[in-house]
Amino acid sequence: MCSEIETRAPKPACVINRHRHCDSNMPEATAQFTSLLPNDVLARVERMRLNPMRRKTNHSRGEHLSGKGGASTEFADYRSYVEGDDVRYVDWNIFARTNHPYLKLYKHEEEMHVVLLVDASRSMQFEGKFGLARQLAAALGVMGLFNVERVSAYSCRERSEAPVIFPPSAGRGSMRRLLTFLEELPGGGEFPIEAAIEEALKLHRGKGVAVLLSDFLTLGDLTRSFNLLHSAGLEIFALQILSPTELDPELTGDLRFVDSETEQILDVSSVGELLGLYHEHREGLSNHLAALCRKRQGRFLTVSSDEDVKSVLFDRLLRRGWVR
Amino acid sequence: MNWLPGITTPLAAWLFALLVPLVVFYFLKLRRSRLEIPSLALWRSVIEDQRVNSPFQKFKRNLLLLLQAAVLCLLVLAAMQPFVRGGAERASYLPILIDCSASMAATDAEGHSRLDVAKAEVRDIIENLLSDQRVTLVSVSDAAQRLTDFTNNRRVLLDALDEIEVDDVPSRPEEGLQLAQALARTFDINTVRFYSDGNLPTRPDPSGQPLAVVDFDLPFDLQFHKLDAAAGNMGVTAFNARKSGPDRWDVFVRVEGSDAAQTGAEVELFANGVPVGAPEPVVLEAGESQRLVFRYDSAEAASLEVRLRPDGTDSLTADNIAYLDLPVSRPLSVYCPVELISYRHSLEGLGDIELSPQGEEQAASPRVAIRGLRAAYDLVISNTPDDRDIEAPTALFTGLVPEDLQTLVSIESGLAEVVDWKRDSRLLQHVQFQGLEITDQPTTAADVGDADFEELGYEVLAHGNTGPLILKRRDGPRLSFFILFDTDRSTLPYRVGFPVLISNIVALAREQANLSDVRGTATGVLPPLVLKPEREYRIDKPQTDSVEQTSDVDGIVKGVAARTVGTYDIREGGEIVRRVGASLLNSTETSLHAVDEIHFRELSVTAASAPATTDRPLWPWFAFAAFVILLGEWWLYLRRPGGVPA
Repeated sequence: MCSEIETRAPKPACVINRHRHCDSNMPEATAQFTSLLPNDVLARVERMRLNPMRRKTNHSRGEHLSGKGGASTEFADYRSYVEGDDVRYVDWNIFARTNHPYLKLYKHEEEMHVVLLVDASRSMQFEGKFGLARQLAAALGVMGLFNVERVSAYSCRERSEAPVIFPPSAGRGSMRRLLTFLEELPGGGEFPIEAAIEEALKLHRGKGVAVLLSDFLTLGDLTRSFNLLHSAGLEIFALQILSPTELDPELTGDLRFVDSETEQILDVSSVGELLGLYHEHREGLSNHLAALCRKRQGRFLTVSSDEDVKSVLFDRLLRRGWVR
Repeated sequence: MNWLPGITTPLAAWLFALLVPLVVFYFLKLRRSRLEIPSLALWRSVIEDQRVNSPFQKFKRNLLLLLQAAVLCLLVLAAMQPFVRGGAERASYLPILIDCSASMAATDAEGHSRLDVAKAEVRDIIENLLSDQRVTLVSVSDAAQRLTDFTNNRRVLLDALDEIEVDDVPSRPEEGLQLAQALARTFDINTVRFYSDGNLPTRPDPSGQPLAVVDFDLPFDLQFHKLDAAAGNMGVTAFNARKSGPDRWDVFVRVEGSDAAQTGAEVELFANGVPVGAPEPVVLEAGESQRLVFRYDSAEAASLEVRLRPDGTDSLTADNIAYLDLPVSRPLSVYCPVELISYRHSLEGLGDIELSPQGEEQAASPRVAIRGLRAAYDLVISNTPDDRDIEAPTALFTGLVPEDLQTLVSIESGLAEVVDWKRDSRLLQHVQFQGLEITDQPTTAADVGDADFEELGYEVLAHGNTGPLILKRRDGPRLSFFILFDTDRSTLPYRVGFPVLISNIVALAREQANLSDVRGTATGVLPPLVLKPEREYRIDKPQTDSVEQTSDVDGIVKGVAARTVGTYDIREGGEIVRRVGASLLNSTETSLHAVDEIHFRELSVTAASAPATTDRPLWPWFAFAAFVILLGEWWLYLRRPGGVPA
């Protein structure tokens, strides 16, 4: 059911360094590696990494230390040898001195899976919400790739269509493909976010972090979706992206609202009188989502689509410990 | 009193049915701006909020509809023309009588005249007229004048109200009431409102208190609104002169004060504009009067003017000046045929008389002679019918039945005696007819009574046993007496009363010729003016306006209205031929005495000093409220472009 987008890095026409994107229309000095992130932002996020609250890793080797002993080169502790232990890990020097076998323990580093779930429905096509979502997905995905995580991306639009996915990839070499995938990500559709999460989980295997980039403006219930994420071993990083009009609407009179996704209409009289209630409900939604995430050891943050990606990445997410 | 507001046009309540299309069109034609938003999720939750669905919030959501419904309701209520019931009975046709006599010019301490105060109250009534009410304005002084038809046209009524001015004449409220009575025959008039200062003609009741009595049957309810009293006043109430010698006049001036406190003034007399003597100081206690006597020596005609200069507050200025025209001093000219020996004998005993005919004149017997503009004689005493043509203001005919009475009375032979006579008549004062023997017997025809004589303008002064003996007739300025029997065929010339009778007719003739007593002319109508016959004259009135009038064949100009105190110049071809001064000279008006009650034949009407609380329309308030709501709605919905995100 799912279709995989062939994401290949565009072959540069000229030889450039890896931070320089070949664009004949762009002057050499200002050539950008990707249209999603400025070069300076890209350079900085390459040095950053995600900071999950819990260690949800896969058994495959990675850079995340597991609670268990491991086979890395970094010493962790000693313990007495018990029958059945691998004698290769016995510290013979100590045995020679004490005539008692001690087993050397090493830290175990496992791989963490970073799942980027970008809401591409029509509601995200307002006032730069989808653009910011793609920028943040690119930044967080680059962090994962540069820290030896397995990064995958999912985007859902229409109910009738399969999610567009970026298959789990690791290593710096996958960055170009990831950026291209995000650059070419189509938008529009009426797929609600809770259904998109469930659809993505059907395709995904692996623990780690699930970064949800959506406005979360859905008539459905997200509890089940978040439970599924939690039970799948994914720590929820929920970023709610709202447009300035949604955050602080200035409306008055009698209006007929039309839902961009479902084209349903809602007649509202004296909108100006209801703005106070609107703010209450918007904050209530944010608090509800934050509570859902918090109960599942997840994180939640609301950002405005008119915020600069630098501000979100290097200020808000950094201050809140989402990244480091 | 019913505190519930009344409604003038209840049928307008049908307009409330417009609420139905208003609501229908509101929901059908409600134009909502279409706005695409990312998701309805938040707004749907807002709409489903319990607080939004509370009655108050529902009200707020449909505020526009409610405002429009409120505007419509207020407009319909305004169309129904509700009104707050006043204390006074509601009248559809209301005549408003406004006293504009001289005393209404009296001012109060603030300088507002009584007429101004009355106008303010009437203006209030006019401005609060309801649509089904009609008002007519009537000004009442010594005559009533209807200023408007019954109308509720405020502009017409207010214009008419503004034009009302004080006439310097006494008040006669019955004139206005009679006019209202005449209107009541055409319109359904239940109430008549009368605004006055209460200064009305009075006569003393048995206890001596002045009583305003109007000889009138009230066919409607009269609401008498008495205005507040004015300040103190002092004025000239009488101005006359009496001849005290061949070239000397005694001039009498009566000065009266109002019922207010003590007042003082100076009175100065002018003759032809020149002061006569020194000003006389006058100090009056409240309600007092004082008579001043000036002596003026002159044989020529003169225009006298008396001016009163009050020391303190004087609320009425019209009575501070008075005019008097003195005639040329001359002997009374009397024509009496020589055959009336007894009459001539009696006349010769009286002084200052020029008796005709005398000597050769007697032979020539020029019966009619014109002496300029003056009458031929001042008095004619004759027994000849032809002498009736002699021009004289006073005449006495003896043994003569006027031609127009010859069908009513005839002279029979027989003895007649005087049955009764009017002892208070000026001619018969101090004349005793008891025991008088008359050999002529005036006899009335069958079925002829006093009324028949009165119809022809005659008044019976003495009744005989078979008919009238002495008659009096006033024919314009001419006063004639007819002794139907021949006095020489009676014992009258031999009685003491005969010279008294002659003395009386001479005194009357002097008065008629203005040779003995001269009275100041009061305002109202100028006395008949004897001028050249059939000439066009222009009478210039004191307040710049003038009227044209033509003298009749006798040279008399009469009926000239004199509503204002001042001098009236009679011009012929631009040249002044006569000047007449008119003065208020009314004790009632000067006293400013106000009555609280008017007595009619069957009932009395008590004055209400408080302003009448009339029905007050509420529709302007409803219309104003609708306008305010419209403004509020405009501000509420148009303060920012509706439906467009800022």
